[in-house]
Order: sequence, then structure tokens, then C-alpha cells
Amino acid sequence: MDYIIRIIPQMGLGALESLKIFSVVIVLSLPLGMILALGRISGFSFIKKFIATYVWVLRGSPLMLQMLFVYFALPSIGILFEDFTAAIIAFVLNYAAYFCEIFRGGIQAIPKGQYEAAHALGMNYWQTLRRIILPQVFRIVLPPISNETITLVKDTSLVYVLAMNDLMRTTRNLVQRDFSVVPFLVAAIFYLGATLLLTILFERLEKYYAKSSAN
Amino acid sequence: MKKIEARNLVKNFGKLQVLKDISLTVDEGEVIAIIGPSGSGKSTLLRCLNKLEEIDRGTIIIDGKTLVQDTGTGVQYANDVEQREIVCRMGMVFQQFNLFPHMTVLQNLTEAPVQVQKRNIDEVTQEAKELLRKVGLIEKQDVYPLKLSGGQQQRVAIARALCMKPDIMLFDEPTSALDPELTSEVLQTMRNLAKEKMTMVVVTHEMTFAKEVANRIIFMADGIIQAEGTPEEVFGNIQNERLKNFLRAIEK
Repeated sequence: MDYIIRIIPQMGLGALESLKIFSVVIVLSLPLGMILALGRISGFSFIKKFIATYVWVLRGSPLMLQMLFVYFALPSIGILFEDFTAAIIAFVLNYAAYFCEIFRGGIQAIPKGQYEAAHALGMNYWQTLRRIILPQVFRIVLPPISNETITLVKDTSLVYVLAMNDLMRTTRNLVQRDFSVVPFLVAAIFYLGATLLLTILFERLEKYYAKSSAN
Repeated sequence: MKKIEARNLVKNFGKLQVLKDISLTVDEGEVIAIIGPSGSGKSTLLRCLNKLEEIDRGTIIIDGKTLVQDTGTGVQYANDVEQREIVCRMGMVFQQFNLFPHMTVLQNLTEAPVQVQKRNIDEVTQEAKELLRKVGLIEKQDVYPLKLSGGQQQRVAIARALCMKPDIMLFDEPTSALDPELTSEVLQTMRNLAKEKMTMVVVTHEMTFAKEVANRIIFMADGIIQAEGTPEEVFGNIQNERLKNFLRAIEK
């Protein structure tokens, strides 16, 4: 118990670093994913093809590879990032690709009649999107978004390959330094605590949005 | 005064011509019922009037304003802003209601007047409540649409369209998606509207309603107006073979 209390501050710092990555990635990748989704269903075939390719590349290769690429390969052509920035860029681009597909599915699930009703009421494209379509999309995409968000919590541990002192790397350092596996357990509790909070948050959101459902 | 003037409308879906040179005028306060077998083009005609479908040839003038003009080789639509202004002079009621499920009944009514017409929300809310009272659903104002029966949803949809203070109401088979016992409440609402001298164009299968309420019946088949006139003229002495067959078929 003493030992746990002794390592908590250090692990807390690691967890804070992980939380920082998580928050920045969520805040940036959700809007980017939405913009990509709108582009993907737009009438411009060049944009559609470009985004489809983007999604394929980013979903089709490992996130760790993408991160290593941004950090180690881009400098060779003169583009240099520090580790945090490199990690954020790779994560945001990768998660935006997943969110793009989730939002696209959600938007396409809205019946044509909703657009027609908005049209008949004289609403323009943005009014229709903002007031009618997207609020309904949010409800549909909540479960898959919740899934991705929880995956992201765990994926933040990948940054250890860039030697960033996130929760995972801190844990490994402690294990190696103290010849104890207790830090593993503490790390598990941190991760589980975070995902539990997110699960509760998303359940609340789903309940809130369910108020307008048929039953 | 002419509320709708549609001249020589042609509409193609690929190779299929669904409207073949259709012309239609609707005077203020008139109630027109468009009847005909499915695939006759009657819904398409209605949907062309508020540009849910674009025509390939022809001219449409709504309340003196040109929505689309024939150019001799094609058509020229008014610009986006003018289009929307013209379109929202017409209220539209759909077969599937198409209420906004994420908004309460009251929000469904106030949304477009506030967002599109930039009217004052308090004023619109008062009018919306008045309309809900008229269609008998004031006690449902804070309920979400999917909790309502089909007939109730359709009455809300009518109230939503009316909240825009339209000059014309378009109805696209408003009772076709309803259980039989729920159609009468919707038809009653429409009757009341007709009594208030609202200009109405109704695509419908309700022959009784058409006979009782409409000033003029238009029978369409194969993208052509086959017969047109007062209910007495159209139903009194049926000459047209297509109409005869159609009426025989729906009586069964």
C-alpha cells in the first residue's frame, strides 16, 4: 500500500500526459471527421475520391506506423515535429478517418423526407444541415463514437514508441526500476477508471437523445 | 387571381416521361383534387410546383412570381434566394408526414418561421399554439412527434406548414400512410382549411373527399390530364375510358 502511494504521483503525471493526448485528439479529430464526411457525400467527385483514398490509407495501415512515419520519416524531407506534436498529428489524422466513416453512415441514414420537409419550409443547405440533419445524426452515431473514444483511451499508450512519458511508459519504467508488477495493476485501474467515466457519459448522452424516440 | 400558373410542364426520369406537356392554373381559394392511378405523374406534378423535382421544360409562376421559365430549349430557374422565397409561399404536407423527430411538436411549428422568415419567436410561438388548438393538439405541444399516432402527426404537419402563413397548401397523398380509422381526423382538418378559403392542391385517393370538398377535379394518367372539371362534370357523365376503369378499380 505504501508503495502504491509512493508511485501514485509519478503515475499521475503519466496519466495526465495520456489525458492531454486524448483530449487534444478528440477535440480536433471529431470536427475534422465531420468535415471529411461532408466532403465525402458532397457533389464534388474529386473531393469524394480524395477523401475515400485518405480514409483507406489511414484506416488501412497501423496507427503506430503512421506515428513513426510522422516523427522519423518526415524529418528526412525537412519537416520536423517534436514528439507531442508528431503524436497528435498522427492520432488526429487517423481518428478523423474513422470518425469520417461513422458520420457518413449517420448522415446517410437520415430519410430523404427530412431534406424534403426542410426544402418545402424554405430552409437553405446550412440551416437544413445544422438544424435538421446533424442533430439527428448525433443520436445515430453516439454508440460507434463511444466505441472509438474508448479505443482512443487505450491507443494513447502507443506514444511510448516516441519515448513520451505517458501512463504506459511511466508504468514500464517503474516496473523495471522496482522489480514490481504492482504498477501494472495501478495502470489498469487508471485506464479502467477513464473508460468507465466515458461509458457513463455516453450512456447519459444516449438517454438524453432517446427522449425523442418512438417508445 | 391566379395563385399557380403552370404551363407545358415536361418532366423526364431518365427515358421515362412522367409529365407530358401538363398545364394547370389554380385560382385563389380554389381546392383542386388530383386523382389518378399510381405512376400517373400526379405526385410528380405536385412536387415540381415547389421544386422538390426539377422540370425539364415549362414555366411555373407562383402568386405572380416566376419560379421557372421555359427558355425554348430548356428551363431557367430563379436564383436560390428567390426560389426559397417562392417555395415557402406554399405549405407542403407529405404522405409520410416528415416531421422533425428531434424537435417537440411546438418546435416543429416554430422552427422555419423563426429560422427562415426571421420572425419573432414569441409571436410565432403564440401563433403556433393557436394552430395547434385549431387542429386539436394543443395538449401535445411538448411531445416528440414519434410518440403520436399517424393521424396526429399529420395534423401537426399541416399546422407546421400553416405556421409559415402560406398562400397555397400542397397535399401529397396526406392520408395514404394512415390506418383507415385515422384518415377522418386529417380530412376534417383539411375540410376546415377549405372552408377558410385556403388555396389547396390535393393529390389524393379519397374520392369522397374529392367530390365533397374540391371545386375542381383533375384526373391524370400516363403523365397527361385526361379529364378536368367540377366534381359533377368529371364524375357525372364519365366519358373517359381511363377514368371509368380507374374508378371501377378503386371501388373494389
